[in-house]
Amino acid sequence: MAEQGGGKGESDRAREEFLSEAQELIDGLGRDVLALDELSKVGRSDPELINDVFRAVHTLKGLSGLFGASMMSGLSHELEEVLDDLRLGRIELSQRVLDVVFRAVELYGMLLGVERGNGMDLSSDIEALLVSLGEVSHRGRAGGASPVAQYELDPGLLGVLTEYEEHRLRTNIQNGMSLYKLRVAFPLATIDSALDELKANARPHGEIITYLPTGGGSDADAIELEILIASKESVDTLRSALSGHQLAIEEVPRRPASPGARTSLPPMARLSVPAAPSFGPEAGTQLVADVARVPIASLAPPPDRDLTLRSVTQTVRVDIRKLDHLMNVVGELAIVRTELMAVVDRLRNRAEMRPLMQELLRLHRSFERHLEQMQGGILEVRMVPLGQVFEKLARVVRQLSREHDKQVNLVITGAETELDKLIVEELSDPLMHMIRNALDHGIESRDERLRAGKPPVGTIALNAFQKGNQVLLEVEDDGRGMDPKQIADVALRRGILTPDEARDLSVRDALSLIFRPGFTTREEATDLSGRGVGMDVVKTNIGKLGGVVEVSSDLGIGTKVTITLPITLAIISVLFVEVAGRTYAMPLTSVEEAIVYDQTATRTFEGREVMTVRGATLPICSLSRLFGHTTSSPPPHGFVVVTSVGNRRVGFIVDSLIGQQDIVIKALGRTLRGTRGFAGATELGDQRVALVLDASALVEEAFAEKERAA
Amino acid sequence: MSALVKRRGAAVQKRAASEKRTEYLAFLLAGDTYAVRISAVGEILRPPPITEVPRAPSPIIGVVSVRGRLVTVMDLRRRFALNEAPIDGKSRVLLVDIGGDEQVGLLVDEVLSVYRLAESEIEPASVLGGEQPAYLAGVGRPREQKELVLVLLDLRAAIAS
Repeated sequence: MAEQGGGKGESDRAREEFLSEAQELIDGLGRDVLALDELSKVGRSDPELINDVFRAVHTLKGLSGLFGASMMSGLSHELEEVLDDLRLGRIELSQRVLDVVFRAVELYGMLLGVERGNGMDLSSDIEALLVSLGEVSHRGRAGGASPVAQYELDPGLLGVLTEYEEHRLRTNIQNGMSLYKLRVAFPLATIDSALDELKANARPHGEIITYLPTGGGSDADAIELEILIASKESVDTLRSALSGHQLAIEEVPRRPASPGARTSLPPMARLSVPAAPSFGPEAGTQLVADVARVPIASLAPPPDRDLTLRSVTQTVRVDIRKLDHLMNVVGELAIVRTELMAVVDRLRNRAEMRPLMQELLRLHRSFERHLEQMQGGILEVRMVPLGQVFEKLARVVRQLSREHDKQVNLVITGAETELDKLIVEELSDPLMHMIRNALDHGIESRDERLRAGKPPVGTIALNAFQKGNQVLLEVEDDGRGMDPKQIADVALRRGILTPDEARDLSVRDALSLIFRPGFTTREEATDLSGRGVGMDVVKTNIGKLGGVVEVSSDLGIGTKVTITLPITLAIISVLFVEVAGRTYAMPLTSVEEAIVYDQTATRTFEGREVMTVRGATLPICSLSRLFGHTTSSPPPHGFVVVTSVGNRRVGFIVDSLIGQQDIVIKALGRTLRGTRGFAGATELGDQRVALVLDASALVEEAFAEKERAA
Repeated sequence: MSALVKRRGAAVQKRAASEKRTEYLAFLLAGDTYAVRISAVGEILRPPPITEVPRAPSPIIGVVSVRGRLVTVMDLRRRFALNEAPIDGKSRVLLVDIGGDEQVGLLVDEVLSVYRLAESEIEPASVLGGEQPAYLAGVGRPREQKELVLVLLDLRAAIAS
């Protein structure tokens, strides 16, 4: 196995990278298998999709082998075999095969959990699945339907062939051509012309099916290609025809009749081959020269062995916390900007400084502009497509509809719609709940639907689209709909509604009763939904994201729940504090620490109240007094929140600390624009609102107050 | 007044019938009846928990969250320098669009009913004598309730100043 990096930190990072890449592959796998399932329902299939699935499993095999995740690589190996059979048409894409593949996707997810150290024992599950895989596979019956199967071609190679290339390969084999593999190292500088030359030389003798970089070769300035040629010539003829090139050539052996012979050494082996058929070599060790078994394009190169030309994707995965950190840095830069402007203002009053002031002002403007771009850029990076959540939901729908014997089609539109990563993460539970509701309460049983003259298979639509600077999400079903009268009755019985309120209730108000805490129409909870802790939680969670939930329904026709969300969130971390019975949020970027308020350590000093903290003097200021809250003297066990903006530090006295939290900050309205000291407000969940303090304004104010007092 | 109507005769009645009528929402404030154009009112709410905003202009009592949106609430009693009263079961908040996708809530004592006033039923604010503030749009005198005096408000002016 290749050695992973140098220090422990690096190997940890590589492992983390492996886990997240595997997660991504497994997610993609789930999506593709679902799509296959959809197709198979209408009796169709898609070779490209099967190829995608195959490739993903193959990459997983390589990855897990490299990182010693033996159960995962073992599973991948067997699954790959079955998928290979599927791909090459040796077995049919039956419901049974799909079930096994679905089960495998599920187990992959659990295996990742094991790799993360959750200590679960999956060995019996894996064994059971391996048995099922063995049952559906075509193993041991070589020489099946596809002529390609007769050859010892690595699945990795077949996996990356385009449909056309696969077709050409098949045709050539059917025409009795032999297959050859060439390995050529091209200097990076002249690869284009050199490759053209080779193609021209090879053309009279055969057809180049495909060529791909091997990832091997020890020279950093060269790239090694593996070329698959179909030719009627012998290996010697071909070798002499291409003698002008530095290349290794070998004939692709035909698959022997007996299974298990795949481990036989190809003639070209120059160095040792791992004793057991390892899943490792494709991951890029340079020493392995098992030419026939090294897949041509390793899809998962370890990052440190990456050659320049091999970076297949333009994307990087980034920990969201790193983005949060950058956002905080931008916040601090904004404070610097404010201070710069204060300098400009000071210079403004001095005639002899005018030219300097002008220059500084110009720099300040440019700084401001770039800062805004940076802020916008970071917000944009946080945007991810909703598809990430939708895929998970699609799997849930499939599972639930099978378990509860309700046939449902899930129709998804707008999966490409982008939202802030944090919003997307927070959406999965509310959406899951809404979908469960639609399945349980909305969609009727097959018989009921037929009696109502509806198609027997229900439809749940999941739509997302952008509207202005908002994103709308709809969960719509064509089920039985909601009866406003029945809802009002239930609400009355459960004491959610008073008879007085029930009297003149509009349809819209009646429907919105489902968002009240404790509302449920089911007398008995099913495991799908109906525990009465549903829609109110959904509403609260969406509200926390700055969103709105609405419901509309037509009796007998269906129900639609609409979520409206802002595209980006201004998310900040705050410290919630209590002052005179009110809750305020202090942005953590300005908080240095919170210490216990020690009245004995405070002095009043030329009208300034100061506190001695670890031998140093800290000006302090009671928020309660600053805000004019009428209270008795500060409680003896108060706290001092040490707040710093620029070089200025002030300790704000508060009654108690509530805790730290990431919140969505919303701007105060125009009518409050002139009110200083507040950056905005945030929702606390229970319909209450807390003001977010504007640290720099308050610190400035505390100083101004003291200067006046002095 | 009835004499006046009689004297003017059929012509007036005919004009009144064809006259454009505007719907006004009437509410109570410290015992007086006020009314605003109903088209300006987006929604009528029971007062949600209000978070006070220290040092805000005096008519503003705080902010509330209405389905995830932040709304500033103004006490109309304070706005019109009337005696303050605690919020009770009859208190309501009128949500008013002030443009730019923003709403302001107005706290009133009690919401009464909707009046459809013809132009002939509206007297100019000048009948109250002297110079009147910009938020006074006029006085409504519904024909069917002769004793009723509706103080008509221009909400935008009331909020803006």
